[in-house]
Amino acid sequence: MINYSKFKLQNGLTVIHHLDESTKLCVLNVLYNVGSKHENPEKTGFAHLFEHLMFGGSANVTDFDGELQKAGGESNAFTSNDLTNYYLTLPANNIETGFWLESDRMLGLNLDQEKLDIQRSVVIEEYKERYLNQPYGDIWLKVLPLAYKVHPYSWPTIGKELSHIEGATIEDVKEFFGRFYCPNNAILAVSGNISFDDCKRLCEKWFADIPQRQFNPVTILKEPKQLAPRQETVYADVPLDAIVKAYHIPARTDGAFYSLDFISDLLGAGKSSRFFNELVKKQNLFSELDVYISGDVEEGLLVIEGRLTKCVNMLDAEKSILNELERFKLEGVSADELQKVKNKTETNIRFNNMTALSKAMKLSYCELLGNIELANTEAEDYLAVSAEDIALSATTLLIENNCSTLYYYSKQK
Amino acid sequence: MSLNRAIAPNSAEIKNFNIIEVQKIPLDSGLDLYYVNAGNEDVVRVDFVFNAGSRNQNQKCLASYTAQMLSEGTKRFSAKQLADGLDYFGAYFSAHSSADDATVTLYCISKHLDSCLPFIVDVLSDSTFPEEELKIIKNNNIQRLLVNEQRNSFLLRRHFYNTLFGGNSAYGSFATQNDIEKIDRIGLVDFYNKNYFGALRFVLVSGRVSDSVISTISKYAKTPHLSNNTVDKSQVFSESIEPQKSFIKKPGSVQSGIRIGRKMFNRTHKDYRELQLLNLVLGGYFGSRLMKKIREESALTYGIYSALESFREDGCWYIETEINHHLRERGLTEIYNEIKKLREIKISENELNTCKNYMLGSFLRSIDGPFSLADRFKTLHDFGFDYNYYYTFVETIKNARPERLQELANLYFSEKDLSEIIVG
Repeated sequence: MINYSKFKLQNGLTVIHHLDESTKLCVLNVLYNVGSKHENPEKTGFAHLFEHLMFGGSANVTDFDGELQKAGGESNAFTSNDLTNYYLTLPANNIETGFWLESDRMLGLNLDQEKLDIQRSVVIEEYKERYLNQPYGDIWLKVLPLAYKVHPYSWPTIGKELSHIEGATIEDVKEFFGRFYCPNNAILAVSGNISFDDCKRLCEKWFADIPQRQFNPVTILKEPKQLAPRQETVYADVPLDAIVKAYHIPARTDGAFYSLDFISDLLGAGKSSRFFNELVKKQNLFSELDVYISGDVEEGLLVIEGRLTKCVNMLDAEKSILNELERFKLEGVSADELQKVKNKTETNIRFNNMTALSKAMKLSYCELLGNIELANTEAEDYLAVSAEDIALSATTLLIENNCSTLYYYSKQK
Repeated sequence: MSLNRAIAPNSAEIKNFNIIEVQKIPLDSGLDLYYVNAGNEDVVRVDFVFNAGSRNQNQKCLASYTAQMLSEGTKRFSAKQLADGLDYFGAYFSAHSSADDATVTLYCISKHLDSCLPFIVDVLSDSTFPEEELKIIKNNNIQRLLVNEQRNSFLLRRHFYNTLFGGNSAYGSFATQNDIEKIDRIGLVDFYNKNYFGALRFVLVSGRVSDSVISTISKYAKTPHLSNNTVDKSQVFSESIEPQKSFIKKPGSVQSGIRIGRKMFNRTHKDYRELQLLNLVLGGYFGSRLMKKIREESALTYGIYSALESFREDGCWYIETEINHHLRERGLTEIYNEIKKLREIKISENELNTCKNYMLGSFLRSIDGPFSLADRFKTLHDFGFDYNYYYTFVETIKNARPERLQELANLYFSEKDLSEIIVG
């Protein structure tokens, strides 16, 4: 159970407070409702590039990190398809420094050509390090456009291609800031050893005078229902063949989401899972085989990703996955299996609620989803999933007409 | 009065380092049970620590494969039954070995502890290492090794530790395909009998540790097998090798991985804590000189850092980065130049002050929550320290002087002592 209070400043900034007296730290988590799905398809990678620029100094602060470090703090951020999330941790008695820094960069950024040039190059190195210079690093770059034809989840957060980042201009980034970085498009969570009164006072002091901005919400196109199987084949300089199968699943706020989350665990999580025992161990067709859901706010993907054992034929490997899916649909889930994933989920939720930061992130995210109470009720939602729910999700969604398959062949053979 | 945003809010001295200390309960079996009670959630982590690291092996891979195979079958349960049993209660099990020891860990919700522990006790006293399971794990690991050998970061690490400590030493050895193939059941059973069976060093429990958690663990820890009755073995930890430069060509790589470093003393040395601060200045945090120079000014990389690593018998210090391969030479020049600046120019009071505060804040974060507290205790225990070590650490950092850091840079960051590995 995470206790919290929520209030809104006059300028539209949503504030969430959570008191945790067991820590000596305090956390500020600022979630901006802007992710790669809000980008122009011709200028992708901007939300993430912008995240880098947020550390380059603001209206009244030349060195964001320097000031924070001087007060004993640390910060970081991440960008996803749906959102950009900034967080900082400080000794609780120095938290006002955090309020100063976060409010100032919400007020106005110090954007100039030189800073942009540097961060563009840094992001290009990040692109290379994570996507181009890693074995199988480009899998995601291939799978997304296959699965999404219309919806902006079709490009990864880092950007569709390097040229989009290379082409970013100072006007582009200024426009991006003006458009998305305002109090009425943000959620601030204050979590840790800080009283509600102090939280409220500091929020008023530092954030209240930041002007609200009008902005036109981005219209996000809905992905049409997939009607036929999709396939793509690539050859890459990797030692082993790989296969990815991605199935469309409902949005995070759809009741069926929970059963899909369970399905991914039942099939692929850990040594008691079906795929591991049947396909990795018994038939030894894969050296690694994972099943996971993409975890997006809107309609996402359930992904099966495997590396084939050497000399195993790609189509045999795929067939074995399909057979297991059929068996799963036919047999359904046993009472023990269902209890297992429920117990696992309870463990995950409890272990995830252990730090002021993870609680701040969860509360902010649930607020973004439109229901902050979810932070406390999702455990019950998971417990309510029945074997029938799972069967229904599996039979309607884990079908080839709803699937994009990437055959990723090794050139090294 | 309107707000003056140009002025930073006052920040206070970072203090309040009263660490929640681990408590000790000696059990009848002679074993020490340690626990730290903290946090708000009814969860526990139980670590079983053994003298079963690669320092205890006489053939490569024995320690890591024994750890990996512990839960692959016992006299009572098959691998699947063990996995089902633990997963059913929502528990997580992990077993891994390092150079110095091996740790078997159970994470679970407190109410399920009593149901989960019998599986762990079984794994620690009756593991059978089935041939069939071993074959699969070996095969999968060989394939994983093939993939890892395509990664700059993996190749860098392997060559670095080989270069520093020697390919046959406890701290420098990495498994080859051939080493993996040579592993057999007999070797594992023998390693298990010598280093797990009756060789538990201690049990460390963290989380919301109630009386009932303690009594549950004591009940199982009484099993005669789970007691501590071994003496540490020793072997070659590191060989004496001259610093070297090596280049590993990796065709098609669009970045060059770089690791520069040397052997260094471990935590027990009197200069270690000040050296931690000096390392922080150079590459130990986001605002470090290397990050500022190589990333934020020159944009040659996504990230660069430096680190001190402390093993029980030795240690090392290194800088690592992946850099735009067209600009590799420039990157190397800049890196060596930053090290040189530490030797030649005294750090300013202002920068030193930032580093001190960051380090103290970072220490405060590292003692936040039960699991962090357990990790800090493990470090103390490994090196035979008590909690004064940390309080002295705080004082040492607060009192560190620019002259002293420059002196340390001249003592320990000499270019002639550094090895350099480049991949790509």
